[in-house]
Amino acid sequence: MSINEATSWQPKIIVFACNWCSYAAADLAGLNHLDYPAEVRIIRTPCSGRMDPLLVMRALSRGADGVLLSG
Amino acid sequence: MVAVAQHPNIELMTYSEVVKVTGYIGNFTATIKKKAKYVDWDLCTGCGTCWEKCPSKKIKDEFELDMSNRTSIHKLFPQAVPGKPRIDAANCTKLISGKCGICEKLCPTKAIRFDDQDELVDVEVGAMVMATGYDLIDWENRYGEYGYGKYPDVITSLQFERLVSAGGPTTGRIKRPSDGKEPKKVAFIKCVGSRDDSKGKSYCSRACCMYTAKHAYQVKDKIPGSEAYVFYMDVRTGGKNYEEFYQRALNAGAKYIRGRVSKIYPRGDKLILKSEDTLLGRPMEFEADLVVLATAMVPAQNSLQLAKMIGFSVDKDGWYQEAHPKLQPVETFAAGVYLAGTCQGPKDIPDSVAQASAAAVKVCGLFSKTRMAVEPMTSEVDISKCSGCQLCVPICPYNAISIKEIEERGGHGHGPFKRQVAEVNSSLCQGCGACVPACRSAALNLKGYTDEQLVAEVDALCL
Amino acid sequence: MKKRVGVFVCQCGTNIEASVDTEKVAEYAGNLPGVVYSTTYKYMCSDPGQEMIRNAVKEQQLEQVVVASCSPRMHENTFRRAVQAGGLNGYMFEMVNIREQDSWVHHDRGEATRKAMELVRMGVMKVLKNKPLQISTIPITKKALVVGGGIAGMQTALDIAEAGYPVILVEKEASIGGKMTQIDKTFPTMDCAA
Repeated sequence: MSINEATSWQPKIIVFACNWCSYAAADLAGLNHLDYPAEVRIIRTPCSGRMDPLLVMRALSRGADGVLLSG
Repeated sequence: MVAVAQHPNIELMTYSEVVKVTGYIGNFTATIKKKAKYVDWDLCTGCGTCWEKCPSKKIKDEFELDMSNRTSIHKLFPQAVPGKPRIDAANCTKLISGKCGICEKLCPTKAIRFDDQDELVDVEVGAMVMATGYDLIDWENRYGEYGYGKYPDVITSLQFERLVSAGGPTTGRIKRPSDGKEPKKVAFIKCVGSRDDSKGKSYCSRACCMYTAKHAYQVKDKIPGSEAYVFYMDVRTGGKNYEEFYQRALNAGAKYIRGRVSKIYPRGDKLILKSEDTLLGRPMEFEADLVVLATAMVPAQNSLQLAKMIGFSVDKDGWYQEAHPKLQPVETFAAGVYLAGTCQGPKDIPDSVAQASAAAVKVCGLFSKTRMAVEPMTSEVDISKCSGCQLCVPICPYNAISIKEIEERGGHGHGPFKRQVAEVNSSLCQGCGACVPACRSAALNLKGYTDEQLVAEVDALCL
Repeated sequence: MKKRVGVFVCQCGTNIEASVDTEKVAEYAGNLPGVVYSTTYKYMCSDPGQEMIRNAVKEQQLEQVVVASCSPRMHENTFRRAVQAGGLNGYMFEMVNIREQDSWVHHDRGEATRKAMELVRMGVMKVLKNKPLQISTIPITKKALVVGGGIAGMQTALDIAEAGYPVILVEKEASIGGKMTQIDKTFPTMDCAA
């Protein structure tokens, strides 16, 4: 079985990004017109300290393929 | 300087240091240590009898960068503001061994206080401006090829400033520290510690190109028949009238050689510099009477501790970090704390003054309001759920959570009882939300980023 | 709290429109639960764009607003004020980042549009959970502390003092003046440093 590149499956990644650093960094990636997979979804948090492990569990149980915590 | 001392709105606290800061924008409490001066400045008239008669006369004068001596009781420099002396306790015979006390006997206003102690005072302020400045890099510990500071005639630019200053140890005559002779050939080396990843700092210190041009000009101007050679990597004259000033130094006869000096060693009473002229592509050997190093600026001593204590960040080199490199150059990440001058990064006088005025405007803008609005996205406690476990208290990086006692009515025959619950000070709370996951009874929530809101976001993306 | 969400999708000229089909996003948003109004506009942050939000809040009796445009780090306050001017609490508003974190980083129009839709859905579901927040105020002690008495500290202290506010100037040495006092003459004018 071969995987067709054009329709290949992409993992859905939920990113929790700190407003002051990682979220700003993601904005910077935009300002520089960098490219990354569209299946990455960013949720803004006020600080990575706000992150509750239960939110990670929630994302995974609801079908996210990966969770990235950044802050 | 005098304008500062005489201004009715300015309270001067010299020989003092900030040791503790608590509070938040608009409402800081700073503890200031007034270090012991051993002289009552309210009584002292600055007449000078004490330092003229002080027998400890062989102390290296730090202000003159050890190029002359001072007494134990001394003014920092003759035009000091305030113009009053202090006793250097480490070098005072009376304070070390209990003998002497000549200054006390001779003081006409009886201002000497050998029992003086450090004093702590608390002040309430609404804003702070950091203007802690710079020091010069410890080139003696880093640059063996320039002699680790062993050769007396290899000096820094700041020492050169003292040599050309009318108020300096040589009353403005350029002399070699070793034998007091007037040098005929002076070599300047730029970027000592600047733009040097291996031994110094990666950044450009920004003022050196210009002051070295000034020094080369002063050598040509003050010593007839002299030669001034500048060894450089680049000449950076980005400032109003700066390029013109550099041309003036060139026209006065300063010679610029593009190349790094790789070694300095003495030969007789001369210094030999080994270098390369990279424009000619040729190695060269050069004989000089005096070598002046343009050493890099580094953050002032103790500036890092001060930043940590107040709670704002520094960059990789220890300079105070501005909130945004272009749009918030005088703000820090701590609200109500602003930056002025070289504590934020190397800069010259015009830039320091401009930034200082910018910081002043930020402070005045804040003070133009009687009250200020605060971001409402702070933590809140649902006291009906709070168990008073206090786990959140040490978690809060801003010390915004405290424990208070509340009285509840009770029921089922149990009378009113007291219990402890957490309380958030919304002025101190910065809305980071670190307390929320720490709360085991889900009593804490962050307004604007509640559990409900974040779960809704996760669910929306994972549909 | 009634659910009456308005969704405003910005095209940012062609910055967003080039890789996100904003019409399609607005149409999708219009079908999300609770959404009663959705639209697009070329520059949502401009005066006519903000007026559009103000008017829609009034005319459509919106209770919640979602703006899909640039990063909230850019214009969150702009839109919060517009929502407020329309008569809503400014915190009944969420911003969705479909420029820095979508149109500028993904160049497949189909994928970027689909992502924009999901992000708008996220914004709508969040804003439905929002509660009005009140801005509180704190008093200000009108006195400044300047740490360091060199040229920068002195200038700051003088400027603040001249504006009429008291200043405490702390200097670790026994005299103010800093490094300037050790310098002879200064470039480019060669005047004295003291």
